[in-house]
Amino acid sequence: MNNVTITVNAQTLSAPEGSILLQVLLDNGVSVPHFCYHEALGVDGNCRMCMVEIEGQKRPQIACNTRVKEGMSIRTLSDSIMAVKRSILELELINHPVDCPICDQAGECSLQNYYMEVGLYESRIDRADKVRKAKKVDLGSHVILDQERCVLCARCTRFTENIIGTGDLVIANRGNHACVTTFEPQGLKADGYAMNVVDLCPVGALTSGDFRFHQRVWFLKSDPSLCHGCARGCSIFIDHYPQKYGDDLIYRYRPRVEREVNGFFICDEGRLSYKNHTGDATLTTPRYSGTAITLSEALELYHQKLAASGSGVVALASPSLSCENLTALRDYCLQYAIPLFGVERGSFDETFGDDFLRLNDRAANRSALPLLGISEDESEMNAALCAASLVLNFDNQTPVSVDQIHFCVHPIDTRELQIPIAPYTEQSGSIINAFGKVQKFASTIRRRHPVPPLHELLSTIKGLA
Amino acid sequence: MSFTFNPINEEKIKKLWGEYPKKESLTLPMLWMAQYQEGWITPEAIRTIAARLELSPSHLFGIATFYTMFRLSAVGTYHIELCQTLSCALCGKDALIEHLGKKWGIRPGETTEDGRFTLSLVECLGGCGGAPMLSLNETYHENVTPESLDALLEGLS
Repeated sequence: MNNVTITVNAQTLSAPEGSILLQVLLDNGVSVPHFCYHEALGVDGNCRMCMVEIEGQKRPQIACNTRVKEGMSIRTLSDSIMAVKRSILELELINHPVDCPICDQAGECSLQNYYMEVGLYESRIDRADKVRKAKKVDLGSHVILDQERCVLCARCTRFTENIIGTGDLVIANRGNHACVTTFEPQGLKADGYAMNVVDLCPVGALTSGDFRFHQRVWFLKSDPSLCHGCARGCSIFIDHYPQKYGDDLIYRYRPRVEREVNGFFICDEGRLSYKNHTGDATLTTPRYSGTAITLSEALELYHQKLAASGSGVVALASPSLSCENLTALRDYCLQYAIPLFGVERGSFDETFGDDFLRLNDRAANRSALPLLGISEDESEMNAALCAASLVLNFDNQTPVSVDQIHFCVHPIDTRELQIPIAPYTEQSGSIINAFGKVQKFASTIRRRHPVPPLHELLSTIKGLA
Repeated sequence: MSFTFNPINEEKIKKLWGEYPKKESLTLPMLWMAQYQEGWITPEAIRTIAARLELSPSHLFGIATFYTMFRLSAVGTYHIELCQTLSCALCGKDALIEHLGKKWGIRPGETTEDGRFTLSLVECLGGCGGAPMLSLNETYHENVTPESLDALLEGLS
């Protein structure tokens, strides 16, 4: 497409001819209130909120359904267009309950932002005259609907219909009585992607049953990271609360736009996997014989056991460890001539993958193993395990029958020696996804007593030896 | 409770099947057939039609709730659809509602206890010349008065 020049509020912009005007405006930082348009869902034109003035056109036009043409002159701030936007917002809000103080969306709500931007009118509707609808509908898949707050933008129904194809959600009835609903009770499944409708919803109508009423969003800090749930490595935001006198607590994962990997969405399982990495879910102190011990005691035990086992030591690495951790581990094993394997039994889940985002390979960094020269030969590993007297297990889930020392993220139900390593949420690193894309993630979650990442721990161990 | 179209409807569906470029176009005809066959559109009918047309049941539900002439709950043997639009409203539909209320103790939208009569209010049926009018099981009756309504209902089995 040829680039053409358009004028927006007396500022000149260059944009591809025929592209969606609203998207061009948003990409260039021009604020245009909108509900139904979403880059992932395309133009629908039902909310009428994105009105702009186009020179030469009699009436205001919706920017989402307008294509960019050479020489267009757009106004988004004139008194007349502000009046138009104000009256449309008033119409959208006519039956809105204005229950922001008890609404989970407060703080990240389009309605609130647009009201402050273009609204600021006195309501002409008495609270008692508003249409009452259901306040708490459990749609299924951890999605809760408040029908009164809904502006009927149809983003959620278009997501289930056009993106996922299950069509679980629909707008039923019409006029004042129109509401989003499902046919079957709790019928929202969306093939395991249902909770994306919570992010898509521009208002507080769809909220996450997992997150709602747990934390106000303005207390949360958002940091970019990568989901380690499968080999795709979807981009996410980790929304966490930095407690003043305690560890950071993770409250939710949200998808982060990464066009080459996951687009705008993540799966529900990945979204809820934050629970495995927050609070008491991870191991924070070394354990032996069922009791907590100090790190120096643990490392002393480690060296004793290692010395006692002589040459019968085998190391297993999790294929989800970051490149930095795997490199350090490989070097460590080379130095002490310990055979290292990156095979993890059970890390392929044939029931998990689909044709959208989820992949059967549940390891986040398997692609790095051949690049680092870490063996993926399962029969060789089995032979080595048969002959081994001690296995150094670096967060690998393969069942092993000989004595082990665990370097693990999560506590394991065993009396063997367990030494904690930091989960990916508490360290920086890089992983290579199934399609060979190298992606970096950075440490976000702080603990008062940090658990060292594996590469740090290994350099400590080396220093002691 | 399962739902299957009867042979007559199956014959109609067979005829219509090839007439539209998209299967989706059969949504409304099939909903009508289900309603005439069962008296109302049962959840099972929605599931069956959705499966036949490869649409989601929710989508079908949205359409069936959008059009007020589709019924999503059972009605009595005799369905009185009383017009509530302008001409009929001016010419006395309220008196008819009140009359039936006294007679049976039901309000619009309700069914008598014996399951014989349902009273619904509908928008203009195009019989304004004979207002107030009603449709009894889809037969129009015009210039209805409480007395003529009683006479009409007397004659029913």
